[in-house]
Amino acid sequence: MGMIHIESLIFHYPSGEFQLKIPEFTIGRGEKMAVIGPSGSGKTTLLNLIAGIMTPVNGVINVGNIKVNRLSDAQRRNFRITNIGLVFQDFELLDYLNVLDNIVHPFRITGALELNKEVKQRAIALAGEMGIGDKLKRPSNDLSQGEKQRAAICRALLPNPKLILADEATGNLDPDNKTHILDLLFRSVEDHEATLLAVTHDYELLKKFDRVVDFQDFQRK
Amino acid sequence: MKVLSKIQSPKSKIGTVLFFTASAIFVIFAAISTAGSSASDKLTVYVVNYPLKYFAERIAGDHAKVVFPAPADVDPAFWMPDTKTILEYQKADLILLNGAGYARWVNKVSLPRSKILNTSAKLKGRYITMDETITHSHGQGGEHAHENVAFTTWIDFTIAAKQAKSIADALGRKRSALRKTFQKNYKALEKDLLTLDQALVAIVSKDLSKSFIGSHPVYDYLARRYGLNIKSVHWEPDEAPGDAEWMELQTILKTHPAEWMIWEGNPMKKSVEILKSIGINSIVFDPCGNVPIEGDFLSVMLQNVENLKRAYR
Amino acid sequence: MIDSFYIAWRYVSFNKIKTLTLVACITLISFLPVALQLLLAESERQLISRAVSTPLVVGVKGSALDLVMNTLYFGDEVPELITMKASDRVMETDLALPIPVYVRFRARGYPIVGTTLDYFEFRGLKMAEGRQIAVLGDCVVGAKAAEQLGLKVGDSLVSSPETLFDLAGVYPLKMKVVGILEKTYTSDDLAVFADLKTTWVIQGLGHGHQDLTKLQDPTLVLKRTKDNVAATAKLYHFTEISEKNIDSFHFHGNTSIYPITAIIAVPHDAKSGTILQGRYLSKEETHQIAKPKEVIDGLLQNIFRIKNVLDAVILVVALATVMAIVLVFALSLRLRQREMQTIFKLGCSRMTVVQLVSSEILIIVLSSGLLCGAMVLLVDQFSNDLVRALFIR
Repeated sequence: MGMIHIESLIFHYPSGEFQLKIPEFTIGRGEKMAVIGPSGSGKTTLLNLIAGIMTPVNGVINVGNIKVNRLSDAQRRNFRITNIGLVFQDFELLDYLNVLDNIVHPFRITGALELNKEVKQRAIALAGEMGIGDKLKRPSNDLSQGEKQRAAICRALLPNPKLILADEATGNLDPDNKTHILDLLFRSVEDHEATLLAVTHDYELLKKFDRVVDFQDFQRK
Repeated sequence: MKVLSKIQSPKSKIGTVLFFTASAIFVIFAAISTAGSSASDKLTVYVVNYPLKYFAERIAGDHAKVVFPAPADVDPAFWMPDTKTILEYQKADLILLNGAGYARWVNKVSLPRSKILNTSAKLKGRYITMDETITHSHGQGGEHAHENVAFTTWIDFTIAAKQAKSIADALGRKRSALRKTFQKNYKALEKDLLTLDQALVAIVSKDLSKSFIGSHPVYDYLARRYGLNIKSVHWEPDEAPGDAEWMELQTILKTHPAEWMIWEGNPMKKSVEILKSIGINSIVFDPCGNVPIEGDFLSVMLQNVENLKRAYR
Repeated sequence: MIDSFYIAWRYVSFNKIKTLTLVACITLISFLPVALQLLLAESERQLISRAVSTPLVVGVKGSALDLVMNTLYFGDEVPELITMKASDRVMETDLALPIPVYVRFRARGYPIVGTTLDYFEFRGLKMAEGRQIAVLGDCVVGAKAAEQLGLKVGDSLVSSPETLFDLAGVYPLKMKVVGILEKTYTSDDLAVFADLKTTWVIQGLGHGHQDLTKLQDPTLVLKRTKDNVAATAKLYHFTEISEKNIDSFHFHGNTSIYPITAIIAVPHDAKSGTILQGRYLSKEETHQIAKPKEVIDGLLQNIFRIKNVLDAVILVVALATVMAIVLVFALSLRLRQREMQTIFKLGCSRMTVVQLVSSEILIIVLSSGLLCGAMVLLVDQFSNDLVRALFIR
């Protein structure tokens, strides 16, 4: 069974302005897939639907063997935070927390994860692997763009998720950093035996992925 | 009828002993309390001169401790107590002042007004203003003098009796339960004072034109009450008068031919002899402002009366 | 919940200026009405207790409030003067003990209360150090005045001239501090007490100088006759009373016409008090007799009317402040919308978001509460002095 399987997905906003239709979509376990497409085509919406942040009007979304669309709000939240790691384009670090606090933040905002000594040590180890081990006590605003995204990746990986959803993870990085960060992300995903679904505009990086899907093809289908 | 057994059990013996012991303790305690309260009931009266001390003691008897702290060798009218003594005055139950400006120190110290009795306050109309004072002036205030009221009020024995009355009334206000006692004692004193008064009236009435010289201007009240014709000098009994003093006397004698000088105290033999040589005899009329060496106020005044009698023989 | 507090604490610590501003607003708006109430309650206590303990006050006809404020609280407004004759008049009625007071002069900013020893007994004033006033020139100082002026027994205290250029009038007299009073938590703590006669010396009604009849220096004598010696302006008046010169001190004229500001009349009993009051009812009477309690009751009624208005104003201001604070929080949340969306995406429930925001509010409110509490305690600790500094003097 694939990591993600979507079937007959229909989503639109209550106003009915935007419509997303995906007849079928599958990502295998451990696969690193890139989704490309024009802006406004629904790429981020797809990620939100998979993560359970939004719910479809119709259709099935399976992540692992969990039918995400059938879960309640609380179940989806718990599922998301324990199984899915999110990496955002704008890093979304909190400026009032230091780097370590940002990394362990998911463990503080939900009862589904317990913050203990072991988790903190893992966070420190993860940060070391990402090359930001010496910056843990610094305010997150003191980090460079690349360092911030590394911290965000640490945050996403700390709960040991099986699925990483990255929405334009390299979008705000300079060219040198883009490759480096993507390499780090790929390595981390492999180390954690996770699946990666990344939305990207960086066509130069597409060759690094196992599979590339053009969103317009979905829509045409 | 039952007869009480004369044989007491041990328990009742103990009970009896305890009862009598408790009673004894109670009686002793009550006695101490009573004694204590009697002692604390005694009034403390401070005075500014000896006549007031005498009057207060005669009236209050054992119910007051009367204190007159001025040393025996000073004139109380001009004495200035030290701070310690002033503080003692402040603690008194009653402070008796003579009035008429006696004891200038009273105007320079702090005494509780509620405890002060000016014994001649109601007799202000009978104060005598003296003429013989040098005034001074400075600034815009004009002339003023500082000792222009005669203050030996008590040698007018009718005034003395009134002063004694005010003391009796004040003591009675302090101890209302003893008011009758104080009034009774006052009446006895008043009788003595008025007897003195009448004796002097009788003596002087024999010759109202007789002239006297007073050794000091302290006989104003005596002169006014009893009709004595006195002009005063400033001679001390224990000092020989100098040339200026003799000159002054001579000047007075020109218009006031006196044959007798009234001294405040026993004069020097030399002074007496010199006066005698110019036809002036000496007698003593001691105002008794301070404690006498012998006797008391009454005995001193009786002696004064006897002395004055000599001038009228 | 603890994690929420940790995150909230981090947030408020990071946004120091916003946090401090909010804490300051909430603290002030909470503190003001409480402090005002405390101070007014203390004022009422001080005014009432002092007024209740003073049965009657006699003074010149006019403002009873000025009379009472000057006599009881040694206020700056000096009423029109009366004379010792008024005190003698009360004495002669045999209905009350008159305690004359003369509160006109000052020494280094503190009122000099000229009075008699009866005042001390009446007010139950006791010596903490030293002794009672005994002679002209002595003074005893209230506990707080002594502390603030750094005075000890044996020190000197000079009276202040009334006006800068009043060279021929009230002149400085060097008084000797002979005692310091125990603290009473009343106006007496901030006063300097001297004998009435000493204040008359300050005024120049009494003074000491060389014996003019014995002057040798011709430049000191203007004119000398058989009965009078007139001195020149060169004659030196002693500015300090000592054992050496006290004999020379004297008063001019009859002391019954000497000035005082008021008389505290202590009736022997209630009936005597009523009769005494009746003696001052006539239209031709130039003096008045006031019952301090009634005067202060009237004053307090006015104060509390003003307080009600102040309360209403504070309430409106408080409402405005609360609205502003709510607006600040609302705008802050709006600015943090993205942060909220992020943590929601990460898996945070709306309840947790509410907890986070509530924790921030709680930290701010608790901090304000603690600060307000500390300030209120401080005000309470010093309310006695504050009231005297702000309201009564």
